[in-house]
Amino acid sequence: MDRGYWIRSKPAYTSLTWHEKASAHLVLASGMGGMAVLKLFQQMQPAQPVTVLYEKYGQNAADYSEILQKVVPENLYIYQDDDLLLENLKEELSVSRMGLRIYVAGSEGFIWDVAKTAALFGVENYDIMKEQTDTLARTVYCVHCKAMNKNVTTNITKCTSCERMLFVREHFSRNLGAYMGLMVDVETPGEFAAIEEIYP
Amino acid sequence: MSTLNVKVAAIEQVTPLIKHFTFVNEDGSLLPAFSGGSHVVVAMEAEGRTYRNAYSLMGSPAETEAYHISVRKQENSRGGSVFMHENVTVGMSMKITQPVNLFALSKLGHKHILIAGGIGITPFMSQIEDLKMMGARFELHYAFRAYQHAAFVNELTEKCGDSLHCYADSQGDRLDLNELLSSQPLGTHVYVCGPAPMVVAVLETARTLGWPESSIHNEEFTSPPVGLPFKVQLAKSGIEVNVPGEMSMLEAIEAAGLQPEYLCRGGVCGRCELNVLENDGGIEHNDHFLSESEKASCRKIMPCVSRTKGKHLVLDL
Repeated sequence: MDRGYWIRSKPAYTSLTWHEKASAHLVLASGMGGMAVLKLFQQMQPAQPVTVLYEKYGQNAADYSEILQKVVPENLYIYQDDDLLLENLKEELSVSRMGLRIYVAGSEGFIWDVAKTAALFGVENYDIMKEQTDTLARTVYCVHCKAMNKNVTTNITKCTSCERMLFVREHFSRNLGAYMGLMVDVETPGEFAAIEEIYP
Repeated sequence: MSTLNVKVAAIEQVTPLIKHFTFVNEDGSLLPAFSGGSHVVVAMEAEGRTYRNAYSLMGSPAETEAYHISVRKQENSRGGSVFMHENVTVGMSMKITQPVNLFALSKLGHKHILIAGGIGITPFMSQIEDLKMMGARFELHYAFRAYQHAAFVNELTEKCGDSLHCYADSQGDRLDLNELLSSQPLGTHVYVCGPAPMVVAVLETARTLGWPESSIHNEEFTSPPVGLPFKVQLAKSGIEVNVPGEMSMLEAIEAAGLQPEYLCRGGVCGRCELNVLENDGGIEHNDHFLSESEKASCRKIMPCVSRTKGKHLVLDL
C-alpha cells in the first residue's frame, strides 16, 4: 500500500476509558477484551451502575472470567459464545435509557456484531467506544455474491460461497461491519500476487 | 446569494406580540421545497438601511404554495422585528433567501423530544409535519409565559394530540428536564429552540445525564447585539467601514456596497466567517460557531453578530 494512504471509512479504535458523564455503563467484551475491561476497572469503579457481558475464549482462547468476577462489582454475565451474548445485549438495550454509555472490546468482528445490534435500537456506532483486541482478522464482504467471510487473515482470500479469489480492500462498511472483497483476477484468470498472512 | 421574490399574501396577529406572515411567489409559481426546521432570511428595506433576519418556516414541507413565518416583536429590537410588525402590509413585495436547514431532524432517531420556549415553537411547526409523515414517535414540550402569549396552541393540540405538553409559567407549570431526559429510551434525540437560558439548561442536563452530542440538537439564533460604534478596515477591498452601535458589522459591510457570504445571520452556521488580520484585542465574540480556543486566538470573527471594543480591526475581505 502507498505510504500516507488512508481511507476515511476504515475505523480507528482506541483504548477504553470511562465516560465521565453517564447514567449507566454497559461493557461488552470477548476473549482478550477481558483485559480491556480489567484496565477500565483499574481506572476506577464508576459511581453509576455497571453491566458487563463477557464472552470467554473469543479468538485467542483467552479467559479472564475468574479475575473479572473479583473486580466487577455487579451485573457480570459470562458467555461461552457470542450468539447468546448478542441475544442478551438486545434484552439489555430494549430496557435501557438515554444516558447509557456503551463500551466494546474484542476482535473487529465482535465489535461490529455489537455495533450492528446496538444500531437496531437507534444507537449510532460512533457513540460506542471501541477497543480492538485478539486479532486483526477481517470480516470480508464479497461484493459479487454478497457472502460474509469471517476471520480472514490474508491479503487475498477465496470466497467461501462463490469461490472467487477476493482482494481484501481497506474500504470498510459500517453498515455491514465488513471490508469489501473484490475479485482479484478478473482480467487475468488465475494470476494474482502471492497470498500472505497480514491480518494475524 | 440567490433570492426569491415573494409577495405578502396574509398577515395575522396571533398573540399580542406575535404576527404570522404568509408569503407566496410573486410570479404565482410554487416555492422551492424545504425540510422541517428550515429557515429563510427576510430582507427588509427600511429607510436608510436593510435589515436581514432569519425566520423559521412553519408550514408543512409538503405544501409549497406558500411559506409561513412568525415574528415576535422584540422589546429591544434593533428594528427588524418592529419593521415586520409596523411596516409590512398585505400585497407588499419582499426578497427572501432560499430555505436553509441548520436544524434538521435526525432520520435515524427512534424517538424525538422537541422542547420549545415561546417563539422558539416556530421551527417545530414544520418538523412535526415531517415527523408525522415519517410516522415517528415524538413529544412536543412547549413552555411559555402565559396562554395569551402562546402561539398556535389550538393548532398544535389538533395536530399532536397527547404528544403535546404545555407549560404556562403564569400557572406555575414547570418542565422537569431531568425527569424528562432521564426516562427516554435508547435512540432518542432531543431538539431545543427557545431563549438562551432554556437552551443552556437542556444542553447541560442532557450532557450531564450522558446523552451523546450526536443526539442533542439546538437552534439558537442570536440577534446581533447593540454595542459601541467602531471602524473596521477591509484589507482586500481597501476601504474603511463605520459600524454604528445598532448595526451589525455584516450589515455595515453590506451597506458599504460589498456582498460577503452569509447564511443564518445569527452566529450559528459559520458561513460569514472572516479572518482577522490585525486587531488590538477587543473582539467581542457573540457567535455559537467558533470554538473557545478559536475565540481566544482572535484570528477569526463572525461579522453577523460579533463586534469589537478595540480601536483597531483589520479583516481579510
